Amino acid sequence: MKRLIAIVEDEAAIRDNYAAAFAREGYAVRTYANRAQAMSAFAARLPDLAVIDISLEDEPEGGFELCRQLRALAPALPIIFLTARDSELDAVSGLRLGADDFLTKDLSLAHLSARVNALFRRVDALRKPEQAGDVLRRGPLTLDTERMQAQWDGKVVLLSLTEFWIVHALARHPGHVRNRQQLMDAANVVLDDNTITSHVKRIRRKFQGVDPHFDAVQTVYGMGYRWVE
Amino acid sequence: MSLRLKLLLLGLLTLVLPWAGCRYAREMESALREGEQTSLESVAETLATSLEGRVDLLYRAPAGAESQDTAALLKAGPYDLKPLALTAAPLVDGYSEDWPRDPRAWAWYEKDPAHRFGVLSGVFERVLYLLLDVHDEHPVFDAPGASPLDARSTGDRIWLGFQDPEGTEREVFIAATGPGAVTARYIETGEYGQQLAELEPRIRGAWQLAPGGYRLELRVPLSMLGASFGVLVDDRDARGAIPVSYGSLHPDDLRTVGRLIVAAPELTTYLAQFSQPGLKLAVSTPAGQVLARVDALKRVAELAPAPPLIARLYRRFVDQPGTVPPIEAQVPIYDRGHAQVIGTLEVTQTPDRWLRLRDRALTRMLNFTLATSIVVVIAMFAFAAWLALRLSRLRQASESALTRTGLIASFPDTDSRDELGDVARSFSSLLGRLNEYTGYLRSLAGKLAHEIRTPLTIVRSSLENLEAEQVGASARTYLERARQGSERLNAILVAMGAATRVEEAIGGAERSRFNLVPLIESAVAAYRGAFPERRFTAELAAGPVMMDGAPDLIVQMLDKLIDNAVDFSPPGSTITVRLLVTPQAAVLEVENPGPPLPSEAPGRLFESLWQSRSEGDNRPHFGLGLYIVRLIAEFHGGLASAEDLPEGGGVRFSVRLPL
Repeated sequence: MKRLIAIVEDEAAIRDNYAAAFAREGYAVRTYANRAQAMSAFAARLPDLAVIDISLEDEPEGGFELCRQLRALAPALPIIFLTARDSELDAVSGLRLGADDFLTKDLSLAHLSARVNALFRRVDALRKPEQAGDVLRRGPLTLDTERMQAQWDGKVVLLSLTEFWIVHALARHPGHVRNRQQLMDAANVVLDDNTITSHVKRIRRKFQGVDPHFDAVQTVYGMGYRWVE
Repeated sequence: MSLRLKLLLLGLLTLVLPWAGCRYAREMESALREGEQTSLESVAETLATSLEGRVDLLYRAPAGAESQDTAALLKAGPYDLKPLALTAAPLVDGYSEDWPRDPRAWAWYEKDPAHRFGVLSGVFERVLYLLLDVHDEHPVFDAPGASPLDARSTGDRIWLGFQDPEGTEREVFIAATGPGAVTARYIETGEYGQQLAELEPRIRGAWQLAPGGYRLELRVPLSMLGASFGVLVDDRDARGAIPVSYGSLHPDDLRTVGRLIVAAPELTTYLAQFSQPGLKLAVSTPAGQVLARVDALKRVAELAPAPPLIARLYRRFVDQPGTVPPIEAQVPIYDRGHAQVIGTLEVTQTPDRWLRLRDRALTRMLNFTLATSIVVVIAMFAFAAWLALRLSRLRQASESALTRTGLIASFPDTDSRDELGDVARSFSSLLGRLNEYTGYLRSLAGKLAHEIRTPLTIVRSSLENLEAEQVGASARTYLERARQGSERLNAILVAMGAATRVEEAIGGAERSRFNLVPLIESAVAAYRGAFPERRFTAELAAGPVMMDGAPDLIVQMLDKLIDNAVDFSPPGSTITVRLLVTPQAAVLEVENPGPPLPSEAPGRLFESLWQSRSEGDNRPHFGLGLYIVRLIAEFHGGLASAEDLPEGGGVRFSVRLPL
């Protein structure tokens, strides 16, 4: 059975283009123009993944509200914010509401599809029974690339997809400096330097949430970052 | 010229006050002088009136003399003796040194050019002094030891003839046997008809030889003398020779022919009653001979304390050069019938008295006006300083009020009710409007970028979908071009929004205390790897340089400076990174060889969306690098600046970071 992707986007042309792209990838796609439409449809049937625009018709923050409601209905449902906005504040708000990724509309359709695939992979992996799959261990860090899940000292650290790939890129070769471009490539995103910096900052904070003494991500000024054990 | 200086000069205008005061003082001086003159004249009038008809005092004539007697009294004769009113008694020694040196005071008597003598006479207190200067080729003394009446031994002889106070004619003679003291003698007819030379001890003198003759000095008490007086010289060329007699006595019977014009001693006493310091009283004959004089002109200087230094200083400024002439008043003294002028009273007053008055007023006034001037100047200066302070505060505020983050809240002086307050208020509202406008402009790029992003996304997603479709090879070329175009458009949009993102990132930066030196060292090491076609030299301070700030941002700032340096320097050139430390600040400098700074907009170099880049470079570039440098420098409370190196050596960007 095809996976169902819900696209909530008020701009018809974009909506249809995304729908066409996802359909081409073999997904079933439902599109909604506003929050009311989407919520009534979600109440009847939950999608497997939701791509939500933040500003919806007359609600500038409608996407956030929708995210909250959808998260209440389905705690494990992967949600991707897709927006023309690119401000730091929006990203933080979206991720705090439990979105799995926050992508700007600059992202190419191919990248978007890759993200969607990755998210589905994570969902699948989490459903499967625990098995030693593609697991990267660096001291207290365990990165499960199947489930896109990170653990520190056995405690789960909830990372967004972008953050997961950044940690992965750093931890794969401890001690090696990864510059910002390499991190962007690894995360399959196009971000500017400051966004990378704030991603790294958020990663540190999330790890520090489970271990206040976490300092494995080190800044190499002028070059980038590296993982130290 | 600064406002302070201008107001100071304006304040100096108050020095007109003391100047006007000086002018006024001069006016006052002449008024005072006039007043003094008037009062002096009235004093003189009064005194002259009190002396009216007092021929007894003026001329020792019997009191109550009739007018015709007075007229006769005043009629000048060639043999009249007019003694000077002496100020001190000369020493009777036969020498002329202690007499006034006035050739006109001498009366000369002459028989022929070989026989002449001069008489200088003077009165002091109650004594008549005579100095005789006799020209005599052969002075002859009496023979020593002989009787003065012995005709054979008689030498040169001086006769004095006078009326005594009772009007009786008397004669005395002076004979000497050698230079020295002499005493007059008179000839008395003895009991048996013999003639005796008796001493007249009241008339004494001294006889001295002088070049071309001899000199005789005599003192005669005025109490012995009446109205007339005369001197006669018997000049003998040998003892006992026939004398050549000449002088102001009748040569035959020695009768007096000239009068003794001299005031009664009481006149001086009378005048002395009216004497006071700084005043000179003098009574003279209508012909000008001074009869009596009481002079206290000099005493004023002795009595008055020296004026204070400041008064003397003022006087130097105020007075015209030269001495101030004394005030004088001359009034005639009439006889009882008011028909005849019998004398002149002259009253002289030193200028010291009114000068002192004037000085006192002047000193006070100058003190007052100068103090006023000083107070005004100081007040003006203070006011000017205050104004200048307010103005400079206003200027500073207007320069710095509008920052990147908007208008600072407090604009100075907007509460003042004066014109400066108006200026401040209009500046404030002007800057407020400007702020709104710049805010609008600043947000315009971001808003525009956001608005364009949606249609661009439509274009790009459509293109991507189209690529997935089956299209012809030629269509694919166009597709590729469209995709490239949209990529570029996208890059432009990213750049346009970048400024906002940088500001947000800076706003959220975490501060910590860190050492600048290793930070810059590692960054420079990274640049060596990143830009292999440039050489990098680092000239860093020796010790650790600790500062508070965001190390991430500092490195980002250095990145931008290096990017800029690499962009504008030719391959193979050397870029210098330098860290200088002063007690207050660290200065980070990046130098690169290359073209000089664009001259048209030196101040705009660090602004957003400003670029000056050579033609043919088609990379999207929005001059954000240096803008970010400025934002980061300002976040750290610092300042970014750029300058050309001397002799076209390139450019230097420096960032001053307070420690």
